[in-house]
Amino acid sequence: MGAIQDTAMSQFIPPSLFHRPTGTWTTPAGQVAGTIVEHVAAADQTGLVNIPILVPSNSNALSGAYLKSIEIDYEILVADCDAFTFVINKVTRGADTAVAVVSAPAFTQSPAAANCKTVDQHKAVLTITTPFWIDNDEYVLVEVTVNQAATTQVDFLGAVANFTLKV
Amino acid sequence: MGYVHDTHMSQYIPPTAMMGTTGTYTQAAGAVTSTIAFHRAAAASTGVINIPVTLPSNSVALKGAYLKSIEVDYELLLAAATSITFSLNKVTRGADTAVAVVSAVTVTQSLAASAGAETQDQHKCTVTLTTPEWIDNDCYYLLVMTAVCGGTVTIDVLGAVANYTLRV
Repeated sequence: MGAIQDTAMSQFIPPSLFHRPTGTWTTPAGQVAGTIVEHVAAADQTGLVNIPILVPSNSNALSGAYLKSIEIDYEILVADCDAFTFVINKVTRGADTAVAVVSAPAFTQSPAAANCKTVDQHKAVLTITTPFWIDNDEYVLVEVTVNQAATTQVDFLGAVANFTLKV
Repeated sequence: MGYVHDTHMSQYIPPTAMMGTTGTYTQAAGAVTSTIAFHRAAAASTGVINIPVTLPSNSVALKGAYLKSIEVDYELLLAAATSITFSLNKVTRGADTAVAVVSAVTVTQSLAASAGAETQDQHKCTVTLTTPEWIDNDCYYLLVMTAVCGGTVTIDVLGAVANYTLRV
């Protein structure tokens, strides 16, 4: 069989798969009819959202998914956030009885951090400085820290991972 | 490089990926032991369950996933509903500072909304796109299950399966 390499693959990650350990989150309809969101109600608090990057992996080197960038669609409502920041966490799974190990691959983001926290619809693009092949013993989480002002509300519509597929 | 064009691909979508509005929804064990379900409690109202279609997409035209149909496995318990209707929303993502735009994709459902899909029973309803679509990387799809319910019926959605052609 021949190998395939497609450099234009993407994967939508719905908000229902997001993990939000802090803050008070609900899953209402989005601001645009027909959309769905993870919503955090107004409160002067700092919440966390983890976005699991659901792309294939592979136990062979240089095969599977070569993760290049991640886009996050969200909306900030009523008031600017005090801060809205992203971290990419690469988790190397532990063997039985061993802990997982987390590293933070470098990335650049667009728009800049100052513009990511304003009241508006946003599409933030996190571009990995050195893209990497995802090993079957690894997975990736994008951690978003949402530092709300007292009246700020946030809706997450979803995320999209962009990758090269080689199999 | 090689080339793949497989017309028989399918993707299971677990109930944990679903979102419900209007009503009380929980993650529950299914009616069949060892199954899992997205459960809607009894309430005389119209519940809406959104099922995100989690397929790959592609920024190149005519590549990636060509969405053809979606099958939904669900069970209505204790009573029949008034109707179960499926619709498909295509969401075109906005650029930064722009809103998303939603359009309706024309579909047909294998079980009639008020004459088959609404009965107290286990159901597998196939929702077929009239014109299948290649999924662009700036779009995603939400299958909407609208359940007009009386005060007794409860709903368990066990999962869904999207059927597509993969071309990479």
